[in-house]
Amino acid sequence: MKITIDKSLDLALSPDLAWAMLNDIEGVTACLPGAKITETIDETHFKGTVSVKLGPATVSFKGNIEIAERDAKARSLHIIGTGSDMGGTSGASLDLHAVVEATDGGSRLSGKSDVTVTGKVATFGARLMNSVSDVLLQKFFANLAMRAEALQAAQPLVATAATENVMSLPAAPAAPAAETNLNALALAWAVIKDFLANLFRRTKAT
Amino acid sequence: MNEIARDPAADLGRLERLEGIGCARKRREDPRFIQGRGTYVDDIHLPGMLFGIMIRSPYAHARIKSIDTSRAKAHPGVHAVLTAEDLKPFKLHWMPTLAGDVQAVLADGKVSFQNQEVAFVVAEDRYIAADAAEMVEVEYEELPVVVDPFKAMLPDAPVIRDDLAGKDVGAHGARRHHNHIFNWQIGDRDRTDRAFDAAAVTVSQDMLYPRVHPCPLETCGCVASYDAVRGDLTVWITSQAPHVVRTVVGLLSSIPESKIRIISPDIGGGFGNKVGVYPGYVTAIAASIVLGRPVKWIESRNENLTTTAFARDYWMTGELAADTDGRIKALRVKVLADHGAFDACADPTKWPAGMFHVCTGSYDIANAHVSVDGVYTNKFPGGVSYRCSFRVTEAVYLIERMIDVLAQKLGIDKAEIRLRNFIPKDKFPYHSALGLDYDSGDYTPALQKVMKAVDYDALRAEQAAKRADPDCPTLMGIGITTFTEIVGAGPSKSCDILGIGMFDSCEIRVHPDGSAIARMGTISQGQGHQTTYAQIIATEAGIPASVIQVEEGDTSTAPYGLGTYGSRSTPVAGAAVARASHKIREKARKIAAHLLEVSPDDMEFDLDQFRVKGDPARAKSMKEIAWAAYNNVPEGMEMGLEAVDYYDPPNFTFPFGAYLAVVDVLKATGEIKVRRFYALDDCGTRINPMIIEGQIHGGLTEGFAVAFGQELPYDEQGNVLGGTLMDYFLPTAVETPHWETDFTVTPSPHHPIGAKGVAESPHVGSIPCFSNAVIDAFAHLGVTHTGMPHNAYRTWQQLLALNIAG
Repeated sequence: MKITIDKSLDLALSPDLAWAMLNDIEGVTACLPGAKITETIDETHFKGTVSVKLGPATVSFKGNIEIAERDAKARSLHIIGTGSDMGGTSGASLDLHAVVEATDGGSRLSGKSDVTVTGKVATFGARLMNSVSDVLLQKFFANLAMRAEALQAAQPLVATAATENVMSLPAAPAAPAAETNLNALALAWAVIKDFLANLFRRTKAT
Repeated sequence: MNEIARDPAADLGRLERLEGIGCARKRREDPRFIQGRGTYVDDIHLPGMLFGIMIRSPYAHARIKSIDTSRAKAHPGVHAVLTAEDLKPFKLHWMPTLAGDVQAVLADGKVSFQNQEVAFVVAEDRYIAADAAEMVEVEYEELPVVVDPFKAMLPDAPVIRDDLAGKDVGAHGARRHHNHIFNWQIGDRDRTDRAFDAAAVTVSQDMLYPRVHPCPLETCGCVASYDAVRGDLTVWITSQAPHVVRTVVGLLSSIPESKIRIISPDIGGGFGNKVGVYPGYVTAIAASIVLGRPVKWIESRNENLTTTAFARDYWMTGELAADTDGRIKALRVKVLADHGAFDACADPTKWPAGMFHVCTGSYDIANAHVSVDGVYTNKFPGGVSYRCSFRVTEAVYLIERMIDVLAQKLGIDKAEIRLRNFIPKDKFPYHSALGLDYDSGDYTPALQKVMKAVDYDALRAEQAAKRADPDCPTLMGIGITTFTEIVGAGPSKSCDILGIGMFDSCEIRVHPDGSAIARMGTISQGQGHQTTYAQIIATEAGIPASVIQVEEGDTSTAPYGLGTYGSRSTPVAGAAVARASHKIREKARKIAAHLLEVSPDDMEFDLDQFRVKGDPARAKSMKEIAWAAYNNVPEGMEMGLEAVDYYDPPNFTFPFGAYLAVVDVLKATGEIKVRRFYALDDCGTRINPMIIEGQIHGGLTEGFAVAFGQELPYDEQGNVLGGTLMDYFLPTAVETPHWETDFTVTPSPHHPIGAKGVAESPHVGSIPCFSNAVIDAFAHLGVTHTGMPHNAYRTWQQLLALNIAG
């Protein structure tokens, strides 16, 4: 099955700084609950892992991430990821277009991604996919915003370093560990809440 | 049959003792099943037995870049990890299918459907095997997926079968596209087209018979045990056709059939799912030969539902031409048949769409033409008959739906239009426009009996009143089907599997004490053969059923037979039983004559004895005759009392029925309640009325499941979305409606005891009956068809579209 996620996030960061943050693949990945980069092959190729809880099952994917296109002028990135779970029963792929735009208050990060899953995850987890990805995304954005704040605080150090090229960022404080390790109970509750809210919405609509 | 007129009252005691044809004898199988004493394949435990687990592809279409088995092989307790490379030296990485295609045993370079077999792990027990299976690392490169058979036939569609590159002729003739399997046509196209051109009225309807699965309670599995010292192979297997499996295993392994023993133990339901040979069987056998130890392989539920033999997946377009009175002039049918990634259909070799050409149904249709195209898609292989004869369910669904579409167009009552088009009784034997010879039928009294039983006119009046009331919370629908089945495959002139004619067989040995053992080439999966075959012998050879042991399923003891599916056991093997019984009886006549010192012509058979004509006091019971067969036979006669019969039927048998369903659709929720279901079946001579009723209840329940809930949908990535019992509907007593059954008796003229098949009629006949009822509920709103399954969600969508929900 395939789900399309189209979200944007306003950041209190200059577009250049936001673009720099986006290009720090390892840093951005760390904001996604359960995800991490395990190996940097070169500037555009990485290996990583993601663990996701879908209902009673935990699925750990490992795979390759490739930056297929990087347009510094437009501040846009095209990332392709493919992976399979450790047990070999599921596959997943990600096709993400992300762009940073200037806004009055700073910048806006927009991302449109197609996530495709096959195998057991699709068979058993299809019902939960949308809810789980929504919850994951909320956490991801919260973490990203936190990272942006940290960067903003460190701005004087790096503001002048903004160039067309990807700049090296100072080590931003990592997001709190409790936030990157997805709490199973919290996730379950979020999913149930989401499900109930949906039910309620539907009842009202009819 | 018996030669003398009987006095029923005087014979009652002896008849009761015999428990012959017509007796509602209790099933001999049930005591062991209800006490948990059955022996299914997973109950087989052999010393030193290992367990195998299949590693399957999560992708529907992908190239295999690498398989790393090293970590799994190093895991303690693992004995082997087989891949296609390991099977190649034995030429076991591909195997023939029943449809003349080949299928990968373990993926050879690429996978073409989700859950395709990629590697096979063999370990001490199933837990170690499951752990090790997760250690096998397979690297895939995804390829574009095609799950829609129409898209599969587009010029630039992905190539599903690289191995068929350049082959423009398949097992069933020319292929016109890389994903095309065959085109099969029957009937007179020109005449049919002309009849359509000249017709006053024509109707056309597209319909999908969705992909469903027989879903037997017991999944498929086997235990393979190769004895390297003796050089023989024994395989316990959940097979509906053990002798066919033996022949296939012999072909694949080069072991002579005499050294292969296939045993089908108790089977927990088959319904067509257990006819073929699956990769797991081949890998378990290969592993046992290589390792010299018994290897067990048992499917999980998910594996069963997503890899072994589905049914249907027929995209059909039906057209009828008629006059304004609703008299049908012609039928035209086009089918796109989705066979999945390998053509593993179970059909007679000559007929790649099985007996779909029974689609003229119970109706006298002078012109007909059918064209079926088989297509490859990235879905799992199969195309078996789920509780029906080969593709008969699809055929009956098509014609029974089309008759309703025509009736709606013309505003003719749906019972009346059937009565106008029935093949009249005096036209039997009837040669259909599509070349079948219907042996017998008497349709009008059957439908009239049903209409009377349910008070059809009152039901229609109630429906009219409800339609007139806008505040009525329900829509009422009445569905009718008057179907004809074609079962008992089949005459070897038209039916074979792998070149072997579809005869069947029976061997009877009468012991000195007058008891007997009968062995058959068929195999019961719930049909009650141990009960009913004994009843045939009881009536035809005069041996009480209670002392007859019926054995099936062991190829080393049973005579060769083609197995049990397509309602063929009674029409084919049942005939062999009757004929073998007659051979016993004729030998017994000579022995009796010898004992009484009269001419055999002066003896007459009387239930359980031979007596002298005109002198009934002088008689020899079958028990006395059996004893004499071992010590005092006429000069020149062989000792013993046994017979073998191999029966090649002259024709199919054509059971029929008239079904009526009443449903209420709740406008508020889209839920559908089956208020009433009346099923009248005519299966000719009725051997055991109680077993018939049980079989009809089972078939109706499975029909209810298909009509209202079963389907295996796919998403665009080729994920099977119905592969668990969370999604795949298996009705229990809670959901199942109440069934009312009835019968008429129109014996088959060519069958030795006049019997036809019965267990599949209720499935074949009920599914279109449910659909017709549901669609009839919407008929006054202009609806001519809605797809199955008729679940609440889909019906709710229909209500919304018509703006009548709530």
